[in-house]
Amino acid sequence: MNFASPWFLLGLFGIAVPIWLHLYFKKTPVIKDFPSLRLIMKSVEYLSRQKKIRNLLLMALRIILLFLAVMALARPFIGQSAGAGVSSSAPTAFVILLDNSMSMGSTYQGVSVFNTARARALDILEQMNPSDKATVGFVNEPGGLVFPQLTWDKEALRQSISNAKLTSAGTDIASALLPALELLVPLNGYRRTIYVVTDMTESAWKPFVERYDLERIDKGIDLVMVPVGGTTPENMAVTGLETEASVVMLGRKIPLKVTVANYTNKKQTAKISISINGERRIGSEVEIEANSEKICSLDCSFSKTGMNHLEASIQNDAMPSDDQRHLAVRVFEPCKILLVKPENAGNTENNDDIFIKFALNPLNRSKENIFVVESRLTSEITNVEPSNYSAVILLNQRHLPENFIKKLSDYMLAGGNIITFLGDRVEPDWYNKHLSDNLGGGYLLPARIFKRVGNSVSKSVGYQLTDIDIGHPAFSIFGKDGNGDPSRAKIYEFFQVRPNPTAMLLCRMSHGLPGIIEEKRGRGRSLLVTFTADNKWSDWPIKPTWLPFLHQALIAMVTANDLTINGARPGMPISATITANKEEKVILKHPDGKQESIDNLTAGKGIIHFTTRNTELPGYYELIVGNKLISAFAVNPPPEESYLARINLRKIPRFIPLEQEVGKGKTVKEKVTILRDGYDMSGLAIWLLIILALVESFFANKPIEKKAPNAI
Amino acid sequence: MDKTSKISRFLDPELLASLSNLEIKARTVVEGMIEGQHKSPFKGFNVEFSEYRQYVPGDPLKDIDWKVYGRTDKFYIKEHEQETNLSGYMILDTSGSMSYKGAGSMSKLDYASTLAASLSYLMLKQQDSVGLLTFADGISKIIRPRTGIAHLKTICNELDNIKATEKTNIGESLDVVGQTMKKRGIFVMFSDLMDDADIIINKLRQLKSRRHEIVLYHILDADEIRFPFDDMTIFKDLEDKSEITTDAFSLRNEYLNRIRQMINTFRSALRKSGIDYLLANTSMPLEASIRSFFTRRQAILER
Repeated sequence: MNFASPWFLLGLFGIAVPIWLHLYFKKTPVIKDFPSLRLIMKSVEYLSRQKKIRNLLLMALRIILLFLAVMALARPFIGQSAGAGVSSSAPTAFVILLDNSMSMGSTYQGVSVFNTARARALDILEQMNPSDKATVGFVNEPGGLVFPQLTWDKEALRQSISNAKLTSAGTDIASALLPALELLVPLNGYRRTIYVVTDMTESAWKPFVERYDLERIDKGIDLVMVPVGGTTPENMAVTGLETEASVVMLGRKIPLKVTVANYTNKKQTAKISISINGERRIGSEVEIEANSEKICSLDCSFSKTGMNHLEASIQNDAMPSDDQRHLAVRVFEPCKILLVKPENAGNTENNDDIFIKFALNPLNRSKENIFVVESRLTSEITNVEPSNYSAVILLNQRHLPENFIKKLSDYMLAGGNIITFLGDRVEPDWYNKHLSDNLGGGYLLPARIFKRVGNSVSKSVGYQLTDIDIGHPAFSIFGKDGNGDPSRAKIYEFFQVRPNPTAMLLCRMSHGLPGIIEEKRGRGRSLLVTFTADNKWSDWPIKPTWLPFLHQALIAMVTANDLTINGARPGMPISATITANKEEKVILKHPDGKQESIDNLTAGKGIIHFTTRNTELPGYYELIVGNKLISAFAVNPPPEESYLARINLRKIPRFIPLEQEVGKGKTVKEKVTILRDGYDMSGLAIWLLIILALVESFFANKPIEKKAPNAI
Repeated sequence: MDKTSKISRFLDPELLASLSNLEIKARTVVEGMIEGQHKSPFKGFNVEFSEYRQYVPGDPLKDIDWKVYGRTDKFYIKEHEQETNLSGYMILDTSGSMSYKGAGSMSKLDYASTLAASLSYLMLKQQDSVGLLTFADGISKIIRPRTGIAHLKTICNELDNIKATEKTNIGESLDVVGQTMKKRGIFVMFSDLMDDADIIINKLRQLKSRRHEIVLYHILDADEIRFPFDDMTIFKDLEDKSEITTDAFSLRNEYLNRIRQMINTFRSALRKSGIDYLLANTSMPLEASIRSFFTRRQAILER
């Protein structure tokens, strides 16, 4: 016979105690005469009543003893989770979800929270039995499971946890929790548990709890929260960096907006430092109130055209990874705009371009202006090369030279931009034939032109622009209050047009006919305005909204082909189209200097489309094609990860807390075992049995005594 | 046993010699025929002047002091106090419980008898008259009070012949005492009071209301006070012979609480009623018990 717990046999010595007590108290009665039994009788009656109570208590004690004896033999387990209710012998299927988001990079009591989390995850894994199966997942962006299926390979799981790396990405609980649930839901024969080892940042958990109804999760699956870290560390972060100018011109001062957050409970001073291409340019100090953000405006200028690396940083603190922010800024030289104005009628000078010229470059400056305007008559454009210009604006043209039309077609396909204003010289048939039909589908206009509507002479009816597409860059500026309203302009005459199927309608006239149409052709764009660019048919050119419309429309067209990747977060896949030949080697240069050759390309006519997922590191990424920097983008950590306040566990339904209790001897390992199997109460029952048996023996044999009175 | 030895058994010569200088001074004055050292409660002529007091209607006119009236025009009564002798009654409980004899040399009855004889002797020696009354279930024997030291022999003979066998009925016995002893005097009662406490207290109060002076000796054996038993014991009642088997050790504290409670009840209730209560432990020297009597009486008279 073997004993699992032989030290319990020591309890057998307890048998001697009742025997001794019995013998000790056992006496042979002696006969004694006494004057009167009156008082003795009363005392005996009183003691009998006391004894009755004691006997009842003893009976209760003996019932408990019997109960404990039965319990000790039945080996009860209590406190196990719902998942353990399947069967005590059923194997366990579990998923360990490790939070490796940026917020885990903070330290608590000098120890990295992420390292603690890994240790906890390994502790949980240690409790895996040979018949159990499990997988590991990461609660970050994009997150997911390391092993898409549950595995029995404990060593592989251990390796995946040990090799887990802290990322600068945000927390996406659903990214791993949902696949984990999909794995576990069908496994009804298993005890199923999902452990989430996390720092429980409120910024991540609150939206998750609000979005998903956790109560609907299968009740047979235990959701266990293993919190790591402790009190919220004091953290400051650069949470925003942007230029206020839509186009950054070479050498021109532009305002920068740097957002600095102070997630501490006291006012802090942030030392903001601005670097351009690694060279520190500006330093500034700013005081930020407790638990608030402050937007700081700083001016800076760029001395290099093309892509520039702008970095804003503050002094390092508890979480250094959010103390800097990056921005890829394309710096432009002034955009050259070609205005093609109609021939002069007789001796009268043509003024069709005057409003546009004034709007784009009122002082006709060649430097420090966004646009440099060059105005040519139709007869002068035969030898002009459109590719030398960022955009070509056709003003009220009757006819255009054939070779120029061909040049314009090639120009647009290669990325050129054309804006066409109509007017009284326009012959719809010629436009439809030469700018659309003759090009064999390669039309320059986004719409076919029909008849004129309205009367610009009598100006009897003034149409307004309606259904304005505020989402389009040309009009988005008017979406903000105080920036004017283009619909206040009056259009007295315009051309009725029919937009091409792929064209976008930017606005309509007030009775519903198209007003401004845009279409993307090849890599270029064509914008058609159905009325004039001067004040003959419309009073818009003398309205304050005219200038911003023109600026925004041109800037949108000029910058449309730039690789504009804003708000890229670590781990987020980047997908873009760049102008390059298929044969050319495309390299992505990472912030740490590592160069990645991008092979996964789909190429078109001078266009390459690429996708990369290697964006884990926050910083400035350069896209190099044939040793030439084509474009760049910045990857920044999600600002919400800097807010390290923990959510109250009570606000997260269904999750059972499982916390390492320092000093109480309750490790995560032990708690995992208890959660799975419950507390084995048989040991406690046996000890209680022994103690209560001794108590029972003592009281059963002990005479009822009262405190002796003082001497009489 | 000759008469002298019978007397000496109860009247320890050394003890009596030590008490010979003590004076028994009753607190209240009782009426008596023989002049003695005790103050009479009755005032009259031919006796020692006591005090003047103003006349109130109902006072006999013969008591008015006319000389004082002649001087003051006010009526004053001249009061006198008379030296008289004291009638003492020794009332002895002879129930079965009084026969208990513990570790000491005397049973409770012997102790009580000795005390009664000692006090009788002292009173007789002072020319007071002493009588004896024994009771158990009822009155057993009455010896009328008489003076003269020769009467002591009669009392001692009776004390010597007492057999304690009967049950106690103190209440009924005290009723009979009240009816029998009309003449005012001092009643010295010796009993272990093993009866209903309320009845005993009521009956003693009734006696007291008849202007008797009452002294109660509560005679208890040391065993009753200390209950020095530890073993499983079969206790036998000395009066009704009933038995009870119990664990004396576990009973002890409860018993001692009760006996203490009983003593306190008697002490407080009787003293409130002007009855002297004296606890006599048979293990105490007789001298101490008698001294406690005199000390108590002295204190009362000096109030």
